[in-house]
Amino acid sequence: MSDKCSCEQPLVPVMVEVIDIKDETPDVKSFYCRKTEGGVPFDVKPGQCAMVSQVAIGEGMFSCTWQEEQEYLQFAIKKVGLLTDELHAIEVGQKLGVRGPYGNGFPVEECQGKDMLFIAGGIGLAPLRSFIKYCFKHREDYGKITIIYGSRSYADLCFKEELFNEWPAIKDTQVYVTIDNPEEAWDGHVGFVPAYVEEINPDPAGMIAVTCGPPIMIKFVLQSLEKMGYTDDQVITTLEMRMKCGIGKCGRCNIGSEYICLDGPVFNLAQLRLLPQEW
Amino acid sequence: MKILNKNQLETILNKLAEEAEVFVPMSKGNSSGFYSWKTRNPETERLMLDALNVYLSPKNIGFPQTEKMYSIKQSGPDVEIKETFEDSDPRIIFGIRACDARAITCMDDVFLTRGYEDSFYKARRDNTTIIANACYNPGPNCFCAGMGIDPTEPNADIIIRDTGDTGYIWETKTTQGEQLSARIADLLEEKELKAPELKPFKTNVEYAGVAEKLKSMFEHPIWEELSQTCQNCGICTYVCPSCHCFDIQVKMWGDEGYRFRCWDSCMYTEYSAEAGGGNPRPTTKERFRNRFLHKLEFFTERYGYPLCTGCGRCIVACPTGINIVNIIDQVKEANVDV
Repeated sequence: MSDKCSCEQPLVPVMVEVIDIKDETPDVKSFYCRKTEGGVPFDVKPGQCAMVSQVAIGEGMFSCTWQEEQEYLQFAIKKVGLLTDELHAIEVGQKLGVRGPYGNGFPVEECQGKDMLFIAGGIGLAPLRSFIKYCFKHREDYGKITIIYGSRSYADLCFKEELFNEWPAIKDTQVYVTIDNPEEAWDGHVGFVPAYVEEINPDPAGMIAVTCGPPIMIKFVLQSLEKMGYTDDQVITTLEMRMKCGIGKCGRCNIGSEYICLDGPVFNLAQLRLLPQEW
Repeated sequence: MKILNKNQLETILNKLAEEAEVFVPMSKGNSSGFYSWKTRNPETERLMLDALNVYLSPKNIGFPQTEKMYSIKQSGPDVEIKETFEDSDPRIIFGIRACDARAITCMDDVFLTRGYEDSFYKARRDNTTIIANACYNPGPNCFCAGMGIDPTEPNADIIIRDTGDTGYIWETKTTQGEQLSARIADLLEEKELKAPELKPFKTNVEYAGVAEKLKSMFEHPIWEELSQTCQNCGICTYVCPSCHCFDIQVKMWGDEGYRFRCWDSCMYTEYSAEAGGGNPRPTTKERFRNRFLHKLEFFTERYGYPLCTGCGRCIVACPTGINIVNIIDQVKEANVDV
């Protein structure tokens, strides 16, 4: 359970200004925001989320990318519905509402000294990227880092600069990328993420696996990891459901007695096994 | 002991209404609920202190069906928001029953604990005094005792007890209650009257052990069977004094408007429908199951007691006769080895 929040109005957003927008894929954009007078309304821990609103349209919960220097808030947002369509249409200078940070975030401290395996699909890399960036910032605190990432196509791969140039150049780091179907200009791996994980077969000894992606991918990745000998407390995932309040009161994001917005979104598999299979 | 004489009742309500909005159980048209004493229309609204449960619970007093959160004004890329609340005028709920008083305890736990305080709810709650009417003669659909509630000891600032005689015993329970009692001290009488005996319940159910049993019943075929007749109309959540789910929506007229929250219902598809097209509770079965598990298992795991207070309103309101008492009984009888 979270500590008591100091914010007096947890349901009322603070306005920030969009200072940069970057196309990541044909349907994913990164938004960089800060207060008009500079700075961020709140600091975030890796894996935490925030409610972002195009105020006159609606609000949605998005993973907030962890920044080494918390000078701006960053969200990578995929276009999937009413609000995200609107967000994809805005320009630099637009004012957005933000409130948060919400949720527990990744157990970055408990994972210290471990080898890390990150498995992501599609926009699911967005939350894991916070943890990955955190590990690289505190590189000496973590062992080997393995990143396995897949998307439908080359164009749909997010954060290509980091994926192909920055991350593979970092010490003791391996990055594996796959796409669902063959493409002419692609000479990398082709196939779905779960099968690729089994093919690479990272040794579970001393490893923590963190996964996020489409629900169907998560489901099969969890099965693969189990098959490969990973125990339930070695596997972490971050979930999402429809949310309105973000503070465990409006009801809808429960899985059993836990609220994803407040008690999650990060759970290990041992915790999830105690809950109804509704995720 | 302090006694409120029945012939002084209106005088006391008038006196209390001078300094606070007083909500009392009244009939209104062909319905009934808790309405303002001060602004009542005596032609059409009648005090119903003797009724066990009015049709609508008092939940809207602390948690309005719709409430504005902040106003919005946009001009080009600029957006300004301004809070429009907070309604924190003193208010008194007079004549609430033990079941509805427990529902307020549920709301307090949801809105004021576990990490965040809901400022909108808190502004009203801090200024609300509760005067409860103890029950001694349970109605046909009352089952609060089965849910662990003593109908003669409601959780309130002041309890009134109908002696069946000329008066109510006036029992002050909290500091907030003392302040209120002091204001009308000269209207209360000093006399010894005896509270009646609690009559037997007509609907008997025993909740003990149900939350534990439900832990292993998430995949049980019982949910398919029990939800057969549910039309997902949501009336159960609407009349329920403890259903607290809400939605947050926006209303704009051109460049101006406001954001508001309103009651929502877990019975509706949109409740958990996700932008990408997914829905973890796509059919009646999943939504029905989630509602009853929330009431009888999940809330108990989180807060230590169930989210059903035995008021019986959903039993009366359901157009297809779904009965939570029957569900509890079936859960208790269910074979969990299937």
